[in-house]
Amino acid sequence: MAGKSGREINAVPQNSVKQKILSWEGGLVIIFVAVLILGAVISPTYNFFSVFREMPKYLCEIFMMFAMGYILIIAEIDISVGAIVCLAATLGCFAGNAGAPLAGVIAVCIGVGFLAGCLNGVILTHFTELPSMIVTLGTQIIFRGIAEVSLGSGGSVSMSNSKIIMPLATMVGPFPLVFFFVAIAAVIFIFSLSRTTFGRKLYAVGSNHTAAHYAGIPVQKIRMICFVLIGTMAGVCALFYLSTTFGANTTTGQGYEMDVIAMCVFGGIATTGGKGNLIGATIAGFTIVCLRIALGQRNINTQLILVIIGLLLIISVLIPRISEVLGNRKRRAVQG
Amino acid sequence: MSDDLILELKGITKIFPGVKALDQVQFQLRRGEVHALMGENGAGKSTFIKVITGVHRAEEGHMYLNGQEVHFKGPKDALEAGIAAVYQHPTTYPELTVTENIFMGHEFKKNGLIQWRAMNQEAKKLLDRLDADFKPTEEMGALSVAQQQMVEIAKALSTNAKIIILDEPTAALAANESQRLYRIVDQLRDEGVSIIFISHRMEDMYRVASRVTVFRDAHYIGTYDVDKITTPDLIKAMVGREISDMYPKPDVEIGKEVFRFEGMTRTGYFKDVAMTVHAGEIVGVTGLVGAGRTETLEAVCGITKADSGHVFVDGKEVHIKKPADAMKAGIVLLPENRQTQGLILRWGLGDNVILPIQDELAKGPFKVKNEKKERELSKKYLEEVDTKAVTIFDPASSLSGGNQQKVVVAKALVQDNMKVLIMDEPTKGVDVGAKAEIYSIMGDLAKKGYGILMISSEMPEILGMSDRIYTMCKGRVTGCLDRRDATQELLLEMSMEKGNNEKKEAAE
Repeated sequence: MAGKSGREINAVPQNSVKQKILSWEGGLVIIFVAVLILGAVISPTYNFFSVFREMPKYLCEIFMMFAMGYILIIAEIDISVGAIVCLAATLGCFAGNAGAPLAGVIAVCIGVGFLAGCLNGVILTHFTELPSMIVTLGTQIIFRGIAEVSLGSGGSVSMSNSKIIMPLATMVGPFPLVFFFVAIAAVIFIFSLSRTTFGRKLYAVGSNHTAAHYAGIPVQKIRMICFVLIGTMAGVCALFYLSTTFGANTTTGQGYEMDVIAMCVFGGIATTGGKGNLIGATIAGFTIVCLRIALGQRNINTQLILVIIGLLLIISVLIPRISEVLGNRKRRAVQG
Repeated sequence: MSDDLILELKGITKIFPGVKALDQVQFQLRRGEVHALMGENGAGKSTFIKVITGVHRAEEGHMYLNGQEVHFKGPKDALEAGIAAVYQHPTTYPELTVTENIFMGHEFKKNGLIQWRAMNQEAKKLLDRLDADFKPTEEMGALSVAQQQMVEIAKALSTNAKIIILDEPTAALAANESQRLYRIVDQLRDEGVSIIFISHRMEDMYRVASRVTVFRDAHYIGTYDVDKITTPDLIKAMVGREISDMYPKPDVEIGKEVFRFEGMTRTGYFKDVAMTVHAGEIVGVTGLVGAGRTETLEAVCGITKADSGHVFVDGKEVHIKKPADAMKAGIVLLPENRQTQGLILRWGLGDNVILPIQDELAKGPFKVKNEKKERELSKKYLEEVDTKAVTIFDPASSLSGGNQQKVVVAKALVQDNMKVLIMDEPTKGVDVGAKAEIYSIMGDLAKKGYGILMISSEMPEILGMSDRIYTMCKGRVTGCLDRRDATQELLLEMSMEKGNNEKKEAAE
């Protein structure tokens, strides 16, 4: 049934191959390949097998990156996740040392993450005027504080029986077990965001939470889900962290929150909400992981790695601005 | 004074990338006159104002001030030449005081120190001149929109402006506040200030202006004496076609009750409000800004929480705790502010339209988006309301106000269990052509048996479209009139503070 004027509105989606290649994700793939080539050039031991072998210790952050993508898309931020990893790993380690089996350690790590996420979520959904930056800054200090108190004067704990956690560190062919878990998480998170109505609700909340509320979307419930999700993923991260380090200390998880935010932003997710997707973030995450492995194999110290990642981040947020400026200049020149 | 021109513009052309925003337009402002500038959204009025105030520079054309050609390089030049603009949404600093806002950028200084006392005294003088009911030391954010506008006018006067441009000053005002603004405009005119008055409201123009200039599609259409041009002719000049019936109120047989609420109370906002809507009925709700109309109906729809109250749809009580509950019960709200409440501006039209029903269309336990169906439905409803758009993927921000409002209407219609449509200021900031289209959609909906509740501050619209009219004041219903008994005066009186009980009884 057309309107009075009989005007037709086109509803055929247009996705050209050219557009896909020119997109942000296309650019990321190129950078990813460039990083692999760079790795092979600078390190003689950099190859398919060594990359996967060394991957586990870097990979655990990726779990949180997916959830951080959701958090940023709803225009929030969670900077307490590094501290949650520390707390969950510490308590998980204690549980193992107290004689808990693998299932117990898993339950403690994930449970601690879940509860920490709940705390963030409850505060933010009950006092909606508080900014998540400040609330999670506060809980970050609390979580790390609890971890440090329980670690005591030594400031560290190690697994007395590392066999408990070893099943998580097994290799399946050339691939570490954690890689499969990351892959499963990637599929679930990417699919939910891009293909389900839940994903669209995240974008709605992040783009305009008032309009989302008027459209019947349970804005506070969505915020709660996202914060619980990222807390839980921090617990998962802690678990796989334990499986590579067999212990925790006061610096565990330090800077993880910034790493995962950097991966998301590098992957094209805007911190202002409503923009970007997890496919880009996933490629960006793996790019950084592979870069770290390459630089690590050359024994380039970690501080320099941070500088490089910082530069990548700044460049990635500048590129859209630069292309915008160039585009305007071109347009002006045409009108001349 | 007939041809004592204070400002004249000739052959102004302004080009933006890809569009001619103004094409050879002209304009003449006499000294001491109130000159209305009218036209649909996108006709070029705002661009034109920005050319006058030096914000934009025209590619072609000449501008004469007191007979002398002038070239403004920026807004500052225009201000110094005595031209000031007051915009629809006051652009103020809410945390600062009235005085600070008035003298922002041209503070009284002595040896580098700000002369607070002198500024406050001068501000008080300016406010007294406007008969303002607030103090210069009050915080800007605590004032109403109408009061903030007065501050803006005072600011214009503080720069000794000889020409004041008012850009849709009444759009955010209630009827009594508009009356007050009219008096201020009269007074300024008597003091010798020349005024350009931009508005969508015919009543504004008839009340304050002596001449009116019409723009359409970036072109100058003509300048007319207000007392010589008829409303249909003026509309024709603006829209480019005749609108035979501005308010196509259909004769619909009023059916049984579809929607009722009673005892709606929220302390500090509204008390014991009750209203009823029947099938096919258009019910108007009017009152002054701050009467609690929006607050009440938003609580009915679950946007905010009421302390108490009962809502009935088709005679059965429904319990509404959140917006989704109201939508499930068939109560759909078209919010007052389409840009912040109704739409996600950067999204495509289609995604906006299907947002409320996406879960119903979704497939499987994981609620996978049914994009094909979504596209079909959004296309269907966007076409049904006659949206001027090329594709359903166009961002909502790219449409004019009237077309954005149509998208919001499509977003309501797509909810096929809808029984009642609550429209909050449905034509606010919408141009006259799109207004007529929205009224016609309302008429069609009434014919189909939906109940419609329309909140509006625009008297002609309330009187033209409603079957029955509620008036509210200070959070209470002060009366209910049948359309036959309603007059503008009566409604205004009932909206005023002492909601007259005899009148209410007489009407019922």
